Amino acid sequence: MASRAENLARIARAATPTLLGVFGAFMLAAPLRLFEGAVATPLIPLVVVYFWSLYSPGHLPAASIFFIGLLQDLLSGGPLGLWPAVYLAVQYVAISQQSYFLGRETHVVWMGFAVAAASVSIILWLFMSLMSATLLPLGGLVFQMLTTIAVYPLFAVAFGNLHRRVIIEV
Amino acid sequence: MDVLGQDKREVFGLRTNSHTGTLLFSLVALILLLSSLYAAEASVFKKARETAMETASPILKLFSGPIGWIHDRVGDVGDYFRVLEQNKALREENAALRQWEEEARSLRAVISALEELDAYEAPPTIKPINAFVIGEANEAYAHSMIVNAGAKAGAAVGYAAVDERGMIGRLVSVSNNASRILLLNDIQSRIPVFVEGSFVEGLLVGRSTSNPTIAITMLANGARIEPGQRVVTSGAGGVLPRGLTVGVVSKVTDKEAVVELAADYARTRLVRIISYEFPQIDEIEQGAESQSTSAPNQSAVERSDDQPAPQAQAAAATAPPSPDEGD
Repeated sequence: MASRAENLARIARAATPTLLGVFGAFMLAAPLRLFEGAVATPLIPLVVVYFWSLYSPGHLPAASIFFIGLLQDLLSGGPLGLWPAVYLAVQYVAISQQSYFLGRETHVVWMGFAVAAASVSIILWLFMSLMSATLLPLGGLVFQMLTTIAVYPLFAVAFGNLHRRVIIEV
Repeated sequence: MDVLGQDKREVFGLRTNSHTGTLLFSLVALILLLSSLYAAEASVFKKARETAMETASPILKLFSGPIGWIHDRVGDVGDYFRVLEQNKALREENAALRQWEEEARSLRAVISALEELDAYEAPPTIKPINAFVIGEANEAYAHSMIVNAGAKAGAAVGYAAVDERGMIGRLVSVSNNASRILLLNDIQSRIPVFVEGSFVEGLLVGRSTSNPTIAITMLANGARIEPGQRVVTSGAGGVLPRGLTVGVVSKVTDKEAVVELAADYARTRLVRIISYEFPQIDEIEQGAESQSTSAPNQSAVERSDDQPAPQAQAAAATAPPSPDEGD
């Protein structure tokens, strides 16, 4: 019985990043309206995807990322497959730059996240503009990305502790 | 301990080549994206969205409960600091509303007199469905809300949704217990509207900014639109009822008129879905052709033709507020 409990705990630990991403996707669909709607809801799944792709890609496999993105698409009512593609692109880049970022100071990784968020914004804006055949306003998107970049250090510290103390600690 | 860690690596693929999986799933995502763009309204995707909404609605309800509670508390605290100015604003609003009450009473008398006439036929009754906002799309280019009333409560795709201030959007996806409202400022939103005061009909187009615009290129008399004029739904196209408050024209340029929405999306929590059975003009016309001498049908046709006129008169009557008219 003990081993079964251990197994369950292990599975729960291994699934934590995925569950956090799913939680983030639900947060994006919840009527949070921070500060009476003055502040955009941060893209927590983007932080989750970037963080774990960098530090431990094995804990957040591509299938999980695909699922998180798809959930976000389904809940927001946008075109299906957009966020999975964006998140997987982030994962691809993060994994390929892993050797540079691992072991660096947190602000370097933060800058990396800012660059990733900016690239994602450009991709999203180009794609949505192309799809609606007009040049869409950038304001809301930039604001949301800036909010996400601003809260990244908080989540990075929380996720870092979680990862070190809960997920890989056996 | 070592064995467990080893196990985990094998079981959860810590050492797999992640690029392969990433590329594989990226490909799947891109194919999905292309196919969902190519056939946006395909039943598979529609069904998937509805199922996801239905499945997620209990979770979203669970989330929105505490969020609403916190909002109420925060709002209460904020209110304490603004009691005086709020009181003043409410007094002023109350005074203005009293005038309107007076006018509404006199208008009601006029209307009841008109209703006595034989030619009068009651407009189809509007049956509202109340619903709470349990979710919304917090993305830059998706403006929609999820409410906790669906097909079981009588909602259907195309119905209008209003809050206590004005129209907020239109239902685009309905499952058994939840529906998605496409907000008026979404890039895909198109609503036929009517500008009171200038009697212009137009199409309200979402611009993905906070204020949608009326495209003037489509209009015959766009030049007559002026800032401050009220915008209501026109009922053209037979989808939405006529006369729902949309907002006020705030800015007019050569190409478009910007409309400031009456609804405040950051405060919308309770929503009324308006199920509206539009009068079936086609059937009546066919009936009128087959038996052109029958009086009730003919009057029905006339009514449907003249439909804009009473509204316009009503608009003209409401435009200059004259409270002493009823005395």
